[in-house]
Amino acid sequence: MSEFNPQTSNTPNADALDTTPNAVALPIALSSLFAALLAVLGLIPKIDLPLGVPITLQTLGVMLAGCLLGPKRALQALLLFLLAVALGLPLLSGGRGGLGVFMTPASGYLLGWPVGAFITGGIMAWLTQRQTTHTPTRSAIHAFVASALGGLLMVHLCGVIGLVVIANLNWQQAVFGTLVFVPGDLIKCTITAMVVHTVARGLPDWRLGGVSAH
Amino acid sequence: MQSIYSDQHTWLHSLSAGFKLLVVLCLGVGLYATQNQLLLAIACALCVLVYASLGRVGWRARRLLTPLLLAGLLVVGFHAYLQHIDLGIVSALRMLSISLIGVAFTLTTSSAELLHTLEWVLQPLNKFGIQTQRIALQLALMLRFIEHFFMVWQQLDDAHKIRTGKSGGLRLLAPLTLHMLQSAKRVADTLTLRLPR
Repeated sequence: MSEFNPQTSNTPNADALDTTPNAVALPIALSSLFAALLAVLGLIPKIDLPLGVPITLQTLGVMLAGCLLGPKRALQALLLFLLAVALGLPLLSGGRGGLGVFMTPASGYLLGWPVGAFITGGIMAWLTQRQTTHTPTRSAIHAFVASALGGLLMVHLCGVIGLVVIANLNWQQAVFGTLVFVPGDLIKCTITAMVVHTVARGLPDWRLGGVSAH
Repeated sequence: MQSIYSDQHTWLHSLSAGFKLLVVLCLGVGLYATQNQLLLAIACALCVLVYASLGRVGWRARRLLTPLLLAGLLVVGFHAYLQHIDLGIVSALRMLSISLIGVAFTLTTSSAELLHTLEWVLQPLNKFGIQTQRIALQLALMLRFIEHFFMVWQQLDDAHKIRTGKSGGLRLLAPLTLHMLQSAKRVADTLTLRLPR
């Protein structure tokens, strides 16, 4: 088996220039793979909280997708996952699936996942491009920052909008309700940073945030 | 991966997926266009009737409804606590109605039929370079990966248990991710040979 080197181009925006056949197949494989990771994380039992919004490990998958794939592929992976859920596959924690889940108070969080993954990926790409020297520790710090802003802040913002629209809470109540999830999500940001650290050490050629290191 | 879809035929199975999708979308818009509790209660009663008409198919899927009912009760309870019970009832009625129809839709529409409808709906995106026919391929790959990674997770967990006597838990996420990324490369190599240029 050859050494893993997904893209050989050294340009930051390699996708646009890479004409190798793998440039078509790799995004398909990676987005399917991260959609599968989200499903596997959903096999870990959820904890139900008031307002019908459960604590699940699947948001960890959102953060990982953004940090490891970059904005475009992460968005693709999350949209694919949500499409599979909408098609009726029981991929959400607790074996939930179908169109019904998009009409519950938690639907704002669900619809926020692709947005969160995109923002996480965008921030990770931006931070990676800005750096001149790349170390696993630095990549892990970038991953923590990107996850906190995209996977935590953005997903919660969408979740709050969902609580306001569907559960008819006012903004203050919705923000108060979502704060319960923040400590757990900060732990998920830390786990994401640790995984990114391992990937940066184990696969040094991996394009974190979808961009090549300078 | 077992879908929520039920093979047992009901009257809703006879309707086309496109029509049912349109009903769900119209209901979603209609329910949010009114605040009238009576209208919403009638709509909710109709949705309950539609769901009940599925008989055993609907009964077998009751586990999907339990969290929904719980969420509805919590929303009403929360608003009652804040002295806004009317608002709570409106929210719960909307949520229950649309969720019941959503579950009924999923139970009576096969994934293949729905995928076909979605591909048709998404067809205009082809003009913008998005190849909608690859959606089916990606879904199939995803399902294959779920099975594969669940097996890999269990193998890693077994190995961890042998070494330490304890389950690996989230410690396994980093090695699993490395394994996944390497697998994706191999799958991409295989796909490259099969995808039309």
